[in-house]
Amino acid sequence: MSSSPQTPMEAPAPGGNAIVFDNVSMTFPDGTEGLKGTDLAIRPGEFVSVVGPSGCGKSTLLKVASGLVRHTGGEVWVDRAQLGYTFQDATLLPWRKVIDNVALLMELRGYPAAERRRIAQEKIELVGLKGFENSYPQRLSGGMKMRASLARSLALNPAVFMFDEPFGALDEITRERLNDEVIEFYTREGFTGIFITHSIPEAVYMSSKVVVMSARPGRIVAQFDIPFAYPRHPDLRYEPEFSKLSGEVSKALRAAIEG
Amino acid sequence: MSEIAKKAKVEVYPPQPVPTPPTLTKRLILNLMPPVILGIGVIIAYALVRNSLPPHRQFLMPSAGGLWELALGLPDFRRELLARTGVTIGIALTGLAVTIPTAIAVGIIMFRFYTLEKAIFPFLVALQSVPVMAIIPLIQSALGFGLAPKVLIVVLFTFFAIPTTLLLGLKSVDKNILNLFRLQGASWWVMLRKACFPSAAPTLFAGLKISGSLAVIAAIVSELFFLSGEGGLGQLLMNSKIDFKYEQMYAALIASSILSISVYLLFNWLGNRLFSHWHESSEK
Repeated sequence: MSSSPQTPMEAPAPGGNAIVFDNVSMTFPDGTEGLKGTDLAIRPGEFVSVVGPSGCGKSTLLKVASGLVRHTGGEVWVDRAQLGYTFQDATLLPWRKVIDNVALLMELRGYPAAERRRIAQEKIELVGLKGFENSYPQRLSGGMKMRASLARSLALNPAVFMFDEPFGALDEITRERLNDEVIEFYTREGFTGIFITHSIPEAVYMSSKVVVMSARPGRIVAQFDIPFAYPRHPDLRYEPEFSKLSGEVSKALRAAIEG
Repeated sequence: MSEIAKKAKVEVYPPQPVPTPPTLTKRLILNLMPPVILGIGVIIAYALVRNSLPPHRQFLMPSAGGLWELALGLPDFRRELLARTGVTIGIALTGLAVTIPTAIAVGIIMFRFYTLEKAIFPFLVALQSVPVMAIIPLIQSALGFGLAPKVLIVVLFTFFAIPTTLLLGLKSVDKNILNLFRLQGASWWVMLRKACFPSAAPTLFAGLKISGSLAVIAAIVSELFFLSGEGGLGQLLMNSKIDFKYEQMYAALIASSILSISVYLLFNWLGNRLFSHWHESSEK
């Protein structure tokens, strides 16, 4: 490639993939290696979960993919034009009402006010927050805040949706409900998803593919195709095939931790 | 059952009835009584100290009767007090009108350019540590006796709290909120307006509260060296001392305290109105 790392060029990713990491490395200014020789290819419409030992660079992978940090080696192909992104916490602006939070990204993108309101209202209803449009985030529970955060990204009609361990801080029941809701949005809107998590059952339950990262510096050391059809039913978690796959991912993860 | 199970020492715990919410009168009493009681204590202490003074020194602590007969009870003096309070408010507000926009601009500039923060901050600290009182004669020599020197003194007193609190607030914005804006390609200016500034507003307000009360004190101090013309409360303080009218001096002191407290309460009320729906620092 002749392009310099500062100037992205419009180029179809190899193999018609939506996201490609080709031998990507990311070294922080202090010399810490976040990623090293990371290869990853995600097909359009895939939902890929990334699991790995804590501190292995999962979040760095997502930050590089989203462009929040620039990789220092290798090449990244990604469509960032309509990017959904949720952080580890809901990251709502506490001084804005729910509806204005949901409309924020559209506002930054210059959508006209009436359209912002219409889409925000629609997405608030989609995530089940109808009636809370004019509440401030302070009044919402953790799960509701996360729903508002999801609605904010969904409002952009994202082609790629990145999730950085969004439900780690929630209780299990809320977490499982939100898993189903994200799957519902995924099957409805057809985005390409990358989901960072440290929960193996969550990864297997939600994804069409699970990739396992090694300890820092993070590389992809194993990939598992998850054959279950969407939409998925909560009882899937108790199927023998599900346990078998979870066990395999778990084994790969243990191997990754032990190096 | 385990052989080594601990012996249970069972006790019965009766339920506690749901407490009834306190009535409005009860809440008023609970809120007002402590300061009122302390106030009465201060008055008693004042009376005790006054009575222990030899009669020829009691003029230092006027009695309530004296305060009324020789100061607050005189319609002419009341008018004068009111007019002078107006003058003091004028000086304080003019000073704040200069300080607030300039100080906010300095705070934002320091936030935008790290090099300028490094350059400006030590001088802010230095400015703050200059004893303003000591340079008032110099200011007077340079700027004369008009409004300008007094406004400058107010500015010197009130400046520091604003850029420092604003900078602290601007720097404490949730990093992921900024990332959220960056992902949409938002400019620095948009991030300042829509993320940093609203997030820093309650902290800035704490600075404004400090500066607001200081402005009244500064306006009074600014006049202590300017005794000609139609001045404010500071001038009244000095003149009544020179004329041995201690009752009037106390009246001026009371007026300036009321003014200072009012400014503080005003900012408090405004802050609660602006931020109580989202910021935990506000009172409910």
